[in-house]
Amino acid sequence: MLRFLIRRLAGAVVILLILSFLVFVLEHIAPGDPARAYVGANASNATVAAQRQLLGLNDPFLAQFWRFLLGLVTGDLGRSLRTRQAVTADIATYLPATVQLVVAAFLIAVVLAALFAVSGALRWPGAFIGRGVLLLLATAPPFLLALLGLIVFFGRLGWLPARGTGDFEDPGPTGMQVVDTLLHGQGDAFLDALHHLVLPALVLSIAPAVAIGRVFRSSLQGVLHVDYVRTARSKGLTEGRVLARHVVRNALGPALSMAGLQLGFMFAGVVVVEQVFSWPGIGNYLAASIPVDDFPAIAGVTLVLGAIYVVSNAVVDLLQAAADPRVTVQ
Amino acid sequence: MTTLLPKSRIRPIAVGGSKLARPVAWGLIGLLILVTLVAVFAKVLAPDNPIQPVGEPNLPPLAAGHLLGTDQIGRDLLSRTLIGVQASWLSALAVVAGGLLVGGIVGLIAGATGGWVDTVLMRVTDLFLALPGALVAIAIVAALGSGLTNTLIGVSIVWWPYYARILRGEVKALAARPHVEAARLSGVSRTRLLTRHLLPGVVPTAIVTASLDIGNVVLLLAALSFLGLGQQAPAPELGADTARTLSQLLSQWWVPGVPGLAVLVLSLIANLGGDAVRNLLPVRR
Repeated sequence: MLRFLIRRLAGAVVILLILSFLVFVLEHIAPGDPARAYVGANASNATVAAQRQLLGLNDPFLAQFWRFLLGLVTGDLGRSLRTRQAVTADIATYLPATVQLVVAAFLIAVVLAALFAVSGALRWPGAFIGRGVLLLLATAPPFLLALLGLIVFFGRLGWLPARGTGDFEDPGPTGMQVVDTLLHGQGDAFLDALHHLVLPALVLSIAPAVAIGRVFRSSLQGVLHVDYVRTARSKGLTEGRVLARHVVRNALGPALSMAGLQLGFMFAGVVVVEQVFSWPGIGNYLAASIPVDDFPAIAGVTLVLGAIYVVSNAVVDLLQAAADPRVTVQ
Repeated sequence: MTTLLPKSRIRPIAVGGSKLARPVAWGLIGLLILVTLVAVFAKVLAPDNPIQPVGEPNLPPLAAGHLLGTDQIGRDLLSRTLIGVQASWLSALAVVAGGLLVGGIVGLIAGATGGWVDTVLMRVTDLFLALPGALVAIAIVAALGSGLTNTLIGVSIVWWPYYARILRGEVKALAARPHVEAARLSGVSRTRLLTRHLLPGVVPTAIVTASLDIGNVVLLLAALSFLGLGQQAPAPELGADTARTLSQLLSQWWVPGVPGLAVLVLSLIANLGGDAVRNLLPVRR
């Protein structure tokens, strides 16, 4: 187990290094001169040259990469060309809203996936309609789902708000409105925050729900008829107990690893959803940086979201190894 | 209790499993071909110039002369959608074909050669697979500058490893089969072994993997286009057209809605067609 842990973590570190190298190379290719961005468009060529020297842009490639890595470790991701702030500070401002959205969407996705899988494996009558709708929605592009949600729940019914995280000042300290308002016991603001969260989270949850649900259903179907389940049934366990203790527990493995993968994907997929709902998160920050070629910001978001993706995959692998020791042998 | 006991252990997949379903599968594959034809001949099929205003702005669908209505400056939405479909569908096919080619070569070489070549190639593949593809694609396109060619390059770079992994596994399994062993013992050259004895065996898997993948690529390309990483205005593009007209959603839903729905239709046809291909070809599931 310890060897597996060390190997898996080392693997994650290597992937993170490759990701940073990739982003570093892209930053070199990207149009725009970082030195000129620092001193402004009207600066003389001499000032720009001096700034180049100061920023170390004349150093050898590998030396620059080393400094880039050191910057990463100390939390320095450069300066955004658009907001003129440190990218790290920007991301720290916007990340909590994204985490809140993704976690909420993930919880919804898990519930939907469980319903999808169990209703399919146990052939609940009539449930195929729900599954069909879910499958259809999952083939739609996320932005179309968002539009559909807005037309129905905001435009027609007027039940849910269209944009933002809530009409109140976030009291801190986490930056996640739902958590903060709860911590401060502000009931109205909490409900308002929740109200704003529902639609974007639902839109974001559909695709992962189906992906997890399909895997879970097929592993449930595989386990449902093995001998030890028949034994459990024939020794007189109630159906619920058979399901809970013998079926679901053994079928959970593949679904768990799919869930981990999807959690990572959601951090990438959140960009479009945040843009449609004007959600003040890191995805919206990325979407706003793209049209103005703000590459330091794009690179920073790619690194942070990429790191979350790599780490969440590693954590899921370790969780699986903890749950099922056979995994470590491979 | 009785509801839990199945009629048979493994339920046959609906499409292709029974006699009735074969025509359905062929129909779905016909749909794939039809979409491809529409995409190829979109310029001929488009009734109007897609980037010139040709009528009143914001006409609803089914308006006279404009089947899908017009957009905010009076351009024909049917024409714009057709040209957008062309860009989306042909790009998706190009990405899948590129991924199949590069991933196929890597997978074939790794699987057939084995040894350190296999190890090195698969390590590189795994590294690519461990990165978040969509994000890396966004970063690559942002660095290269937005545009259709750069989008295709960016997506292709993150897309091939998937094929390399699957095809390598397939080749490995095939290489252990008796007919390959017999060929090797009879002394055929490495090239012949690869092209005559291994390659034909992986073609069904390759086709199925690729056809199931088209829908994913359509969605990814639409998302990149939505974020402004595709062609520049005024060229019609499904994702970007939706993003630019979001403000009209509640007043004239069809202006952002039609291009978005077109993406849904493409993705749906791609997924159904992919399923049909899988059911018609003899591939392990």
